[in-house]
Formats: sequence, C-alpha cells, structure tokens
Amino acid sequence: MSLAAAAFGRSAPRREGSAARRAEALAGRLPPLMVAAERVAATVAQGVHGRRRVGQGESFWQFRPFVQGDAITRIDWRQSAKSDRNFIRETEWEAAQTVCLWRSGDASMRWRSRAAVVEKAARAELLLLALAALLLRGGERVRLITGSSGNAAGITAGRAALERVAEALARAAPDAALPPDNALPRHARIVLFGDFLTPLPEIRTTVGRLAAVPLAGHLVQVLDPAEALLPYAGRIRFEGVAREFEALIPRVEGVRAEYARRLAAQQQGLADICAAAGFGFSIHRTDAPPEAALLALYMALTVR
Amino acid sequence: MIFAAPWLLLALAALPLLWWLLRVTPPAPRRETFPAVRLLLGLEATEETSAHTPWWLLALRMLASALVIVGLAQPILDAGARLPGRGPVLLVIDDGWAAAPDWARRVQAADTALDRAERAGRKAALLATAPAEDAGPPRVTPAMPVADLRARLAALRPKPWPSDHAAAVAALQDWHAPGTAVVYVSDGLAQPGDADFSRTLATTGPVIEIGSVVPEARVLLPPRAEADRLIARVAQAPRDAASPEAVVLAQSGDSRSLARVSIVIPPGKGEGEAAIVLPPELRNRLARLVLEGQASAGSVALLDERWRRRPVGLLAGDAAAAESPLIGQLYYLRRALAPYTEVRESDLGTLLSRDLSVLILADRVIAEGEEHDRVADWVSRGGLLVRFAGPATAGHPDGLLPVRLLQGDRQLGGALSWSQPAALAPFPPDSPFAGLTVPTEVRVRRQVLAEPSADLTRHSWATLTDGTPLVTEATVGAGRIVLFHTTANADWSDLPLSGLFLDMLRRLVALSVGVASAEDATVLAPAETLDGFGELSPPPQAATGLAGDAFAGTPASPRHPPGLYGPENGRRALNLGAALPALRAAAPVAGARTELLGTVPAERALGPWLLAAALALFALDLVVSLGLRGLLRPRLAAVALALLLVAPSARADELADRYPALATRLAYLVTGDEQVDGVSRAGLAGLSDYVNRRTAATLADPAPVTPGEDDLSFYPLLYWPIVPDAAPPSAAAIASLDDYMGHGGIILIDTRNGGSGEGFAPGADAALQEIGRRLTIPALAPLTTDHVLARAFYLLREFPGRYTGGTVWVQRDQDRANDSVSPVVIGGNDWAAAWAVDAAGQYPYAAIPGGSRQRTLAYRFGVNLVMYALTGNYKGDQVHVPDILERLGQ
Repeated sequence: MSLAAAAFGRSAPRREGSAARRAEALAGRLPPLMVAAERVAATVAQGVHGRRRVGQGESFWQFRPFVQGDAITRIDWRQSAKSDRNFIRETEWEAAQTVCLWRSGDASMRWRSRAAVVEKAARAELLLLALAALLLRGGERVRLITGSSGNAAGITAGRAALERVAEALARAAPDAALPPDNALPRHARIVLFGDFLTPLPEIRTTVGRLAAVPLAGHLVQVLDPAEALLPYAGRIRFEGVAREFEALIPRVEGVRAEYARRLAAQQQGLADICAAAGFGFSIHRTDAPPEAALLALYMALTVR
Repeated sequence: MIFAAPWLLLALAALPLLWWLLRVTPPAPRRETFPAVRLLLGLEATEETSAHTPWWLLALRMLASALVIVGLAQPILDAGARLPGRGPVLLVIDDGWAAAPDWARRVQAADTALDRAERAGRKAALLATAPAEDAGPPRVTPAMPVADLRARLAALRPKPWPSDHAAAVAALQDWHAPGTAVVYVSDGLAQPGDADFSRTLATTGPVIEIGSVVPEARVLLPPRAEADRLIARVAQAPRDAASPEAVVLAQSGDSRSLARVSIVIPPGKGEGEAAIVLPPELRNRLARLVLEGQASAGSVALLDERWRRRPVGLLAGDAAAAESPLIGQLYYLRRALAPYTEVRESDLGTLLSRDLSVLILADRVIAEGEEHDRVADWVSRGGLLVRFAGPATAGHPDGLLPVRLLQGDRQLGGALSWSQPAALAPFPPDSPFAGLTVPTEVRVRRQVLAEPSADLTRHSWATLTDGTPLVTEATVGAGRIVLFHTTANADWSDLPLSGLFLDMLRRLVALSVGVASAEDATVLAPAETLDGFGELSPPPQAATGLAGDAFAGTPASPRHPPGLYGPENGRRALNLGAALPALRAAAPVAGARTELLGTVPAERALGPWLLAAALALFALDLVVSLGLRGLLRPRLAAVALALLLVAPSARADELADRYPALATRLAYLVTGDEQVDGVSRAGLAGLSDYVNRRTAATLADPAPVTPGEDDLSFYPLLYWPIVPDAAPPSAAAIASLDDYMGHGGIILIDTRNGGSGEGFAPGADAALQEIGRRLTIPALAPLTTDHVLARAFYLLREFPGRYTGGTVWVQRDQDRANDSVSPVVIGGNDWAAAWAVDAAGQYPYAAIPGGSRQRTLAYRFGVNLVMYALTGNYKGDQVHVPDILERLGQ
C-alpha cells in the first residue's frame, strides 16, 4: 500500500489528451488513490469520537423517561414493557454538514524540488481525498469545487461517493490559483488546499467573498520544502513554473534570510486573513507525513 | 635570465583591467524553476554585490594570465652575457684532434654563442683552425645569418690532425668587419704560431675565449716493444694537480679488447707509461691501442708489424757446446734476440710443430731425408730460415742453402796468410740491412765461400770489402733462406760482438712475416685512415702516399692522415702521436674574456614551460568553476580519477616470482655470466617444452635462482653450469644447496668440458673440484645403463648433450633416506646448449660431433632426468618386476 501511495505521489502531471486516454489513466490510478486516502483516513478516525449529543440520527443514544409533551410515537414500547414507566428512545444527534473541498490545480502546484518526494498537487489531492473519505464515513456530505464547470461534482454522500469525488478530481482541468466564484450553499464548510503564494489582496478578496456567503472554512497551505527553506547556493536565475516571472539571484545564500522573512510575512498575512474571516489556517510541507496534517485538519473541522 | 621579446611584458599592465573585468563579470547563472519566485523578485538588487568571483579564483586566473604573458615574452635562463660589439660575430673553433674528446660540448658552446648572436640580430662567420680535409688552409666563411651558419657548424667535425694557428692567422688577414666580436672555442694546446694568433684575434675584435682550465686531450704515443711486453705511453699537457688515470685498451683487429692497463700520469709530468703483458700469440693479434673514454685520433695508436712478436727458434749443431758462455754457438744469438722477441730452443721437430716465424740454425747441417723435407716445406710456406756457417756447414754443405758453397772455408789473416781480416762493405741499397751503419772495427776472419755465379751479387745482402758475400739469401716458395757466411759466435768474426749484429737480426726478424719493411723510399698508399674521432675509415680524397722511410718523422696532416698505409700484407701505421711535439697548455688570448667549457650552461627557454603551467592553471580553473556552479558531479569525478589511477594489472611473471609454487618448473643457478645464463634459460625452456609435449608432466617456464637468496624447495631440478672464473659460492649458498640436496632436490652439475667438448671450458674441472670440496657430495659412480636414470622414461645407453662421451656421475651408494635418488648428477656434456631453442625455433648451438640423433638423445636424457626428479626411484621398482613375477609364480 505504501508502494501504491508512493506510486501515486510520484504520478506524472496530468496531461491533456483524448478522453479515452484520460479515462484509462484514471482507471489505473484510482484504486491506489482511494486506498491511500482510506488508509490515511482510517489512521485518523481512531482518535476521534462521536458527537455525544442527542439529536437526529440513526444510532441509539439513550433512554429517558417519558415526560408530558413528548409524542407518543416516540415511546419505545419494548423498553417500557420492562418496567412500569414509559421510556423514550433517543438517538444521537446527527447533523449532516456539507463540506466543500477545493484544491488549487495551478501549474505551480505541479512541481516538486529535488528534495521532495511528491508534487504539491499530489499531496493536496491526497489530503483532499482523505478528508473526503473521513467526512463521508462520518456521514457528511462532500462537494468538490472545480473551476472548469461550476458545480460538476455536486453534493455527494455515502461511501461510494468517494470514488465519484476522486473521479471528478482527476477529470478536473487545471485550475486557477484561487477558488472560482461558484454559488455555494450557505453555512456550509469549505476547505481550501493550495500554496497560496499569490499576492495577499487577491486571497483576501476571495476569502472575504467566501466568508460573506456565509461559509466557515479552513485554508491549508501546501508547500514544498524547497519553497520553505530556499536550499540553493550560488548564482541562479529563478523562473516561475509558467515562466511568468524571472529573478536572477547572484548569490542565493545571501538572500535566504530575507526570503524566509518574506515567506513568514506571506504566511502571517494568510493567517490574519483567515482569522478575520473566521477560517482556520494551517501549513503543510510535502516532506512531512500527510497523516499529521489530516489529523490537524480533521480536529479543526470537528471542533467547529 | 633575459627576455627575447621583452616588449610583450607591457601586456602585464593590462592585468588590472583583467582583474576588473573578471570581478564585474560573474559566472553564467544556473537556471532553476521555482514556484515561489514572486517572493524573490525584489531581492536581487540588494544582494548583487556579494556575488563576485572568489578572490582566490581571481588570483588563479590572474596568475595564469600573467604566466601566458611572461611565457610569450620568451624568457631565457642562463642566457649569459651579451656579445660585445655590434658587427658580425666571428666564431673561431679549434677543430684539430685535441678538440675531439669533448667535441659535443664545444659545438654546444658555439651554438650558445650563435644563440646570442641570433638574438642580437647579428650575422656570424666561422673559422675552423685545422686544415680542411681537402688540404686547403683554414678559411673564414663569409658573414651570414646565424641560421645558415648553424648548418655549417653542425657539419663541422674534428680533424685527425692538429689545428694550424699559423694558417689561421693568414686566414684572418682577410677579415675586415668593424664591430666584430670574436668567440674562440679553444682546445687549449700550445702551438708554434700562438703568440701571433692571439695578437691577430685581439686586433680583430673583443675576444671571448671558451676552453677548459687544462687541456683535456691526451695522446697515445707509439708503444715501445720490449722483450715480453709492450709499453703503452700516454702524453698530455702537464698539469699541476693529479690527473685521472688513463686507461689503455689493447684491441685486436675486430675491436675486441685483449688487455687493459691504467696509466697514472704524475702531476707536473707530461707522459706516463705502463706495460701490457700478453702471451706472444695474443700479442701478435693486437691491431691497436685505444685510450678509453676519449674518442679522438690521438687516442688510437695503430700497431703494424713492427710491434708484433715473432717467435724465433734457435738450434745449434753442437747442442752441448752451444750453451757455453761467450763461446757457445747460441750465446750471442740468444742475447741479441731475447730482449725483443720470443726465443724458443728445442729440437727441430718440436720447433717446427709450433708456429715459428724464424728458424735460426747455427752451424747445423740438415740431414737428408725427412728432416730436409720438413724444413723445406716449412720454408716454402713462408718461414724464414737463417743459417750461420761453421765448420760443420763448411764440411758438408746441404741442400737448404741460398747459394752453392765451395767446400771448406776461407781464412783471412793468420800466421800463414798474407791477407788481412776483412771488414764489411756498406750494405747494398736493396738489402734489408740498407741504412745500417757499418762499424769499422768489425773484422771477419773466416768465412765460407759461395760458388761464384752471375747472380751472386743479387743474392748478397752483405759483402765484405773484398766483394765476397757475407750474407746471402734465396727465396724459396713463400719463404726465404738467409745464410751468414760466418759463425754465430766470435770464432770466425767480430760481427756477433758488435751492435750491428743486433740490428741485422732485428731486421731479419722483422722481415720474417713477409713485410718488406726495409725503410726505403717506396711510396705506400693510404689504405685506411683515422677520422677525427679515432675510427678507421676509407682515406679522404686529399690523402696521398707516404714514402716508407718517411714514416718516422711525418706529422699527421690532410695529405698524410694517421692510419694504415701500404699493401694488405705489409701495412705501415702512421700515428698521430709519433710526430707530435710535447703537449703544452696554451696561454689564454691576451685581453680575452674567458668562459669555461662545460660550466657555461646551455640556454634554456622557459617560455614553453610557463605556457604549459598556464594551461594547467586554466584547466584547474575550469574544474573549480564547474565545481562552483555545481556542475561537477562528485561521483563522475571519482570514477574519472579512479580510471586515471587504475594500476596496471599484475603481470603473470611477477606472480610467478612471488608464488613459485604455483607451477612445477625447472630452475638454473645464476652464474653471473650473461651468456651462460642465457644458454641455461633457453636450454631449460627447450627441455620444458619437450617434456610438455612428450610426457604427462607440465612444466612452467624455468626460473633463475640464486642459492642462499631464493628458496630452492619449489624446484625439482636445478641446473648448474660451472663457470671457471665465477666467484665461489658463498657459505649461505653452500648451506642452501646442501639443504636442497638433503631434502630430495637434484642438482645437475655441468662443467661443459667433457667428452667431445673437452677443452672448451678450461678451468671448469678445477672449479668443480673447488666447489665439490665445499659441497656435501656423496660418493659417486659412473652412470650406467642399469641406473634408474637410464630408464626413467626412455631406455638410454648414452647420455649426450652438446658434447658426447663424457662420463656422467651419480651417487654410488643406495641411500634409503633419500629413496636412493641421487641428489647430484655431474657431467660435462653441456646439456643446456643441446636443449636450447631460440625464438625462431632453431637450435642455436650445434652438437659436437653433431647429428640430429645426438640432439634427440640429449632431449631424451633430459626427459629421463625430469622424470627421475619428479618420480624418484619409481621406475627403479620396475627393474625388479621379473623377480617379483617369478616370486609370485612360486
């Protein structure tokens, strides 16, 4: 399984091509993708417990004595027959929540440094699918936001929904660096995966728009270790992935501290934006294990 | 150190510019894709200044650039001082015989001077002071560009005659060029015209004299023949300090050295001598004396017939009385001949059985019959028979006389005679005695008389004043018969008491090998002459013949170069040293700047080395630059380095040397004589090959071993050729060999001096005895056909090698400790030579007496020996098979 996960992690960037070829590539890639996501999710589920509240749901929560005002239909006759009193069977509260998931499909996400094992996009997709698996297992509804066709994935629920999410994820066209302006259900949750290296004002606008729906959410910055540390030396001409920018650094060692400062500023800015919008914010590096990031993410979602 | 192109050094001023350029031009950047490039965008301006090339790399490049500039400026080390003047450079070189020993250094010194002239852009001219080969006087070449003159200098060779400074002065009279600088490469020997020469040189221009402190040249004077030795004489210019000893080699005609003597010339002396003592046979083969270490015409003394010894046989008619002092027949003869020739005395048969040049019979009548025939035969083959008359001869003249004698003798003077004892007439000019002065006091009192005939005068070499012949001769075949008409003692005449007798005998003996060495005016044509380096070569064009009587005083010159003159059978040698004045060191040219020959180091151009160093630095810079830009893969570099340093794989023979036990191989003792060792090696290789082809044994290449140093226990068989003059084996070697024999090893000792080859290695048997005394050798018995060795593989009846018939010895007694295997096999059949095969697969050494059968048997003996060594007495049991079968049957 770990081999499969590794195979997934190292998957080549998605190529444009005929639908048939893409479907074939998908078929080859989906099972390990699913398994890897399931594995990560199962590891996390062990440490989390139920909601422990009475509410709508299917599973038994408690019996309580019938009090005036309760509907008679709610009396559990089998339990009541054991004694003189009538009992009402209460189920655990189950509030199905819609969780919108989005990952950046930007070109800058499909890159990894020599030190990293996987591309950022691969890690983001793994985290997304694992989170989706967790959520679906918890009975939540999951919706994948893609840029190409506004609501392509739709809201799905149930165990089989994971495959549909994965399929939609694989089929999704390369995406923008920020989530598209789709119509989203109110009071839903949203989780955004991306490197969020775009200028802060753009991010602030986007997050503000999402918060205005209103939506609560979480923002996960996936970074390559090279992006975090700038482990280069010497005279280097840096180019963006899409050749959009170019920077000639005569001596990279000399700018490393300044770069770290700028990155910290960017991350602080992101954290501020998220805090203002009531979003959570976390940073994940692709050389760190995905389980830790998923656990943190799941805890953050569960608390709210 | 100077620079040939100093203006190029101006480019060094541009180095700071280069420094600046290198500083401001950073290396080309590496390209990296980086998503977070936006965060880097603003950073470049603030950090650019720290991104320059490291200072040490900059220094490396500056150094390399400076090296290129300095290298192109052509620095020259040891360039010496500038030549004075501005006009042409006149190169004066002594190219006489004395320049030959260090000719290369002289040419190099001249070349260095030409280098200086060339750098200064001056023309040059050459004056070689010795007369040219075409006998023309020395001439100054026209001033020409240095490159052209170099070819002339390269073609210049030392001459076998002295340089002629007087003639050089005449040549210099025509030289008129202002600003001339004179470079004089001197041979350092004084010459008659030296003062004039120095003055002329000094007036021509400033002089730089290149020479050695003392003249190195030595000359070999004609040797002096003494009774049993030849005195080699070496002359040199006297030196104050001790001079290194001169080594004289006595060589035969095929350039083999037959003797070697060293002569020490004491300080202050100009001459030294040493005796070369050789057996007469060897001495007669000497063709020249050579001074070792100096190649010049002066270091060769050619020997002609005058230095050869001629054995003279003496025989008297009355053997008993011949020995009496003062009155014996042979008394004066022996005293006259012994100092300069070898005298033998024996009976006639013994004398004629050996090589003999002259046979002197003092009043001995040759008997008719066999004795007469033998002597006549010897004379007709070229012998010189000298007879002295006497009472016996006078009474019985025999057939071997040059003229018919009248019976009886003639007495001059005395109580009953009117006549007076006669004196000698001057020698006729065609006589070999011509030129000898006749002492007036010599009187002949009795003589035998020749029968008068028409040609008697023609046969007379010496006559008395009254015209009767005293010495007559006749040619018989290739030889000659000479008769003294008087006795060899003082009975009949005073002649034996006079010095003339000695000279006459000496002339006669010199005549004996057919050299008509009468020093007459016959012109002898040059046959072979010496060149400047003392090598015999065909005579040059200008060489002309020399009269036979002029050899003593003729100095070597282009007309008469030193060498051999005359016909094949009567060569006369003209030696340079014969007519050379005593060597003296010349005074230096007045006012000249002197440079010592050889101490002036050759100019060395540093340019190429500097450029090469710059290239190396640039290569280093390339590597460093690649490393700085991260393009140097450590693994790749390591692989390249490993490939570079990969050691050549160990060779197979090294393996064999280190691990001799890996294969079975024969071994031979290293004797130190290269030729013998080569034969041993080739022989054992041939035998190993034969054994590998014929038997199941597999032998590797034979190994040379030195007992006491190498471990012998790996080798089943050791071949030991005895070399008579080899150093005796050390105690360690003896112990090692004893141990080897005591533990199952077999040594085949070969004196190479047995059977049909007896006498080929004189002294080997004595050497074997010496070795046998020290070695633990068991009691021996001849090898018979019953021995296991005779049937170990082949059934052999004889055991030949290159020679056959010699007895082969093996251990006599059965020795149970060693399984009755003989630890030593001794013989003298030179087996290795019979087994030897050369690279072409041929047998380089003919078997004696010969035949392929002998060689086959030699190989078979070798196979038996190897089998014996490998299997011990295994085949010995087979000898008893009939007995065993018989016993089993019962």
